[in-house]
Amino acid sequence: MSILMNDSTRVIVQGITGRIGSAQTHWMLDYGTRVVGGVTPGKGGTTVEGVPVFNSVLEAVKETGANASVFFVPAAFVLDAFLETIDAGIKLIVIVPEHIPVKDVLKMRSYASEKGVFALGPTTPGILVPGMGKMGIMPASLFAPGRVGIISRSGTLSYEFAGILSENNVGQSTVVGMGADPVVLRNLADILELFENDKDTDAVIVVGEVGGEQEEKAAGFIGRQMTKPVAAYIAGRYSPQGKKMGHAGAIVRGSAGTVTGKHEALRAAGVEVLETPIHVAKWAKKNKLK
Amino acid sequence: MRLHEYEALDIFEHNRIPVPRRGLVDTMHEALHVAGEIGYPVILKAQVLVGGRGLAGGIKTASTPDELKEVADALFTSEVKGMQVRKILVCEKVDIEQEFYLGMTVDGYSGKPVIVVSTEGGVLIEETAMTSPEKIAAIHIDPSFGYYPYQARSLLRILGLEQKLITPWSDIIGQLYNIAIRYEALIAEINPLAVLTNGGLMAIDAVLEVDDSALSRVRFPLPDRVDRIENPLERRGREIGVTYVDLNGDIGLISSGAGLGMASMDIIGQKMRPANFLETGGGITADLMYRCMELIMMKPDLRGIFINVYGGINPIHEGAKGVIRYMKEHNVKIPIVAKALGNRQEETWEIFRSGGVHVVTEVATEKAVEVLYKLVGPGKKDSGNRKQPRP
Repeated sequence: MSILMNDSTRVIVQGITGRIGSAQTHWMLDYGTRVVGGVTPGKGGTTVEGVPVFNSVLEAVKETGANASVFFVPAAFVLDAFLETIDAGIKLIVIVPEHIPVKDVLKMRSYASEKGVFALGPTTPGILVPGMGKMGIMPASLFAPGRVGIISRSGTLSYEFAGILSENNVGQSTVVGMGADPVVLRNLADILELFENDKDTDAVIVVGEVGGEQEEKAAGFIGRQMTKPVAAYIAGRYSPQGKKMGHAGAIVRGSAGTVTGKHEALRAAGVEVLETPIHVAKWAKKNKLK
Repeated sequence: MRLHEYEALDIFEHNRIPVPRRGLVDTMHEALHVAGEIGYPVILKAQVLVGGRGLAGGIKTASTPDELKEVADALFTSEVKGMQVRKILVCEKVDIEQEFYLGMTVDGYSGKPVIVVSTEGGVLIEETAMTSPEKIAAIHIDPSFGYYPYQARSLLRILGLEQKLITPWSDIIGQLYNIAIRYEALIAEINPLAVLTNGGLMAIDAVLEVDDSALSRVRFPLPDRVDRIENPLERRGREIGVTYVDLNGDIGLISSGAGLGMASMDIIGQKMRPANFLETGGGITADLMYRCMELIMMKPDLRGIFINVYGGINPIHEGAKGVIRYMKEHNVKIPIVAKALGNRQEETWEIFRSGGVHVVTEVATEKAVEVLYKLVGPGKKDSGNRKQPRP
């Protein structure tokens, strides 16, 4: 039915008392997500949107049986809170904030991998399972239940692709934001593998952008191991060289990280490359997706 | 943020990496003085933040004061890759036996720092990687344990280099790694790293790109952080807290996400020409959108504006109020098309429509850009000869 989140996912919101944390808790609950608690050190004992707030992750886990966490913690405190969350036994973590220093992300990634924790981000809109729940900031109105998986480096473009599909009566199994930083906690290929093994996903859309080599590396995995159809769109054809296009990871350096290079690698792996987002509707129709 | 070569060389020197004797000058008089102290011949290097500076004519040798006058004058009055030269670094010219490349960067795929050595110094590493990958050796560093000298030995062995150079190599790699960690660099590069005729190693050039997300906790003085951005519109973008990239078209763009902004730019580019890329990030307020309008309208000859925002983390109804306020106060006449979807979308559409903005409610950006195209047409093929600013 979905990847990463399912019926037994019990979510805590870290940084729940902040402006964004509390607003997003409202929207997550509104969508039916089981938000069982929140954490803000020093604010334990209060409630936000009817959800109990705890001083520590361990306390929240003990009291609520939480097994997943979504972060709205200020960038400077994310590393500390992340280590705390892993030590408290949480196995699925979504890091929404942007501007987390790369040095911190390297440590986070190394610790998560050592402890067998699946973490997404930083700079991710999170995960949304249409009709079931969401961890993060995706605006629910654009999504519809179905059998197409979406993985996106960009938040807003994941909404755009889901929205175009929904308008064409094609639903989504799970929509995953992998994060837009130069180093993210999970590689594109790891998420593709989950979709490949998910019996309720028939095809996958990869929404990439200029910079880095996630798409190129994932092409290797797709060519070798994916049996499901994959389509890909890469944003940033007109991005000038050497300019950071809003995302820290979206930068073309010399001949590396270009749209053309990514297209070539993906095509060689049998991926259908979409020149412009709206073409996704035609692709879905051709593959009889719903 | 990329540091100037002179700043990076100072940091290298403080951290015991051998560097040439040098002086930073911004007048001819100073250049003559510094060269006199160092002794001829000297090398003059334009301090502009672009790669491939040498090939673009930004590095020159002068053997006499007369030659220096000529060369410095040419540099000060020229542009290197579209950037004006304001400062020149005058360096001693050392006798070089062999040139290498040494760099440290972060490998996003493995999530580890990687040290790269190439026997091909003085050229772009990306080019060597394409033309002769056998000349490059790379080794990943475990971020929890850091660098150890055996890793330098491995690198030299891969490249078939003499192991008697091991001590200076090992030291310089260790210093570079420490600098990268201490100054939170995403890229630290020495290109070329010279083997001198006396057998020592010296960093002839220095590149240091500090992680923007870590600037507030890096402990070294970084004056004029905003002033480093050459383009005044891009500088203004930084000041108001958005990402603005200047382009040479005539369709203004405001987007609430980087991916969406790039895709919008690509779609506009199919039939028209984007004037800019502007990405608000997750902090939209009425005031921020007002300032975004002000910023994109600074560009003369704009023919139309496209606003593409999602209400996920952003209160788009607030944003719409800011746009309308700007339009009223400044009597904006050019067509504005907005696509705004997500939380509180109906309210947002209402506000936009009340101010005369064309609202498109379909999801695909292509449809909205088509509406704008019908309003403004293709425009001139090229809007002026203005050079596109480069990094």
